[in-house]
Amino acid sequence: VQITGRSHEVDAALAVRIRSGDREALGELYDRYAAVALGVALRVVRDRDAAEDVVHDAFVAVWQKITRFDAEQGQLRSWLLTIVRNRAIDRVRGTRVAEDIDALDELGALRSTANPTWEAAIANLSLATLRDALGLLPGEQREAIELAYFGGHTYREVAALTGVPPGTAAGRLRLALAKLRQLLLGTDAGPASIPPSPEPTSGGGSP
Amino acid sequence: VSEREPMPGLTLDCAAVDELIGALTLGALESHEARAVSAHLATCLQPHDELWELVGANTALAASIEPVEPSPALRRRLMETLAVVPQEVATAAPARPATQSVPRTPAAGATPSVSAWWRSLFDPRSATFARGLAAVAVAGVIVLGAVNLSLRGSLDDRQAALNRVAGAIAAGGPAFAVTAQKAGAGSGYVINGEGQPLLVAAVPPTPTGRIYEMWLLDAAGKPVSAGTFTAKDQIVVVPLEGQLAGYTTFAITVEERRVDAPTTDPIIAGAIGT
Repeated sequence: VQITGRSHEVDAALAVRIRSGDREALGELYDRYAAVALGVALRVVRDRDAAEDVVHDAFVAVWQKITRFDAEQGQLRSWLLTIVRNRAIDRVRGTRVAEDIDALDELGALRSTANPTWEAAIANLSLATLRDALGLLPGEQREAIELAYFGGHTYREVAALTGVPPGTAAGRLRLALAKLRQLLLGTDAGPASIPPSPEPTSGGGSP
Repeated sequence: VSEREPMPGLTLDCAAVDELIGALTLGALESHEARAVSAHLATCLQPHDELWELVGANTALAASIEPVEPSPALRRRLMETLAVVPQEVATAAPARPATQSVPRTPAAGATPSVSAWWRSLFDPRSATFARGLAAVAVAGVIVLGAVNLSLRGSLDDRQAALNRVAGAIAAGGPAFAVTAQKAGAGSGYVINGEGQPLLVAAVPPTPTGRIYEMWLLDAAGKPVSAGTFTAKDQIVVVPLEGQLAGYTTFAITVEERRVDAPTTDPIIAGAIGT
């Protein structure tokens, strides 16, 4: 699940090969990220068959639309997972939601933009540490993130679902991400404020 | 953030955009609000640093999920699908037809090394020419957005570049879109502002041992060097040597050293004037 400098290079090379019509390269990408993708899809749709359909469709989308991917603007992995997340939400809600690769505008590009700071943090922290950080968020912030990111709800819908004004919901999302940044990237005091967990696969503060 | 449902065509100020940064990062904006945020960022000179700090958080959320091994059948199914599903044809790169129409006005002053690409530039029927003209109308608005969205150097660098661009814009000169002629070549704007014209462009790092050379071409297609530069970061702001008056086209080539006439096809080009 880690992103390293080398991993980024491998992905960039795969993107070039996929763009040239190399199906085996897409297969290699699948081997690298199918499990991560299925984890994300399953978290959203909560049905194994439906989640596998989502993963299948997402990789097909990468194959079809690879010319829209710009390796200088983002990571292939982030792009793939954005597609997985959006397709999964489409599946659950029965509608097309947030802009996908079909309408890759500045904001879509922005969200999959390579951010060395976050990528470095993710590369150095275990799954459990990431979960622990989520677990340290105040409950209402964690709920807002869960509804927005994994539930595919807009912040206005999050507001309605949680019975708060829209501005409050937007504020919770903002505060939650700022808090995550502080926990994972240690904005004020050097390295991460919570130590890396010794057991990468042990459960943590799962929300 | 307004408590009531905002109207389409909404405009947002900096504070409102900042309030929505979390929702933006997570893809949790209403579509018309996403458009409004995009429109704001496209013209705002404020750095919106918090936005840059939070972009990427969604990747951390995805990474917090336990991977689940798919069934072996899924890979087989995927590979079977790929065998029958075609890939989209690139649209970002110029789709130069293999059977290029004969240019109406061959470039009289072109050097022997200048290829059909250069000649096609002066064929009003060519896609290259049409795209350049079409983009001019909106260039003045987009150029600041390009810097704000893409420039990720140090704050001082960004500010210096923004000041320079803002000065050129304030001088009231037109800006011309110059676009990629090869996949991934980048794009930018030539701004005819105060003093020297400026190139503001997002380009890949200069290949080792090479430089970027800028060209101004007159209506006959004769290229004149407008200076050279190298790029490490994605955004460059480069003053051109000379003025745009009398030239109709701007282009960038990759060269081993500064030369008097381009030896390669342009990576970026566009129409720059009347």
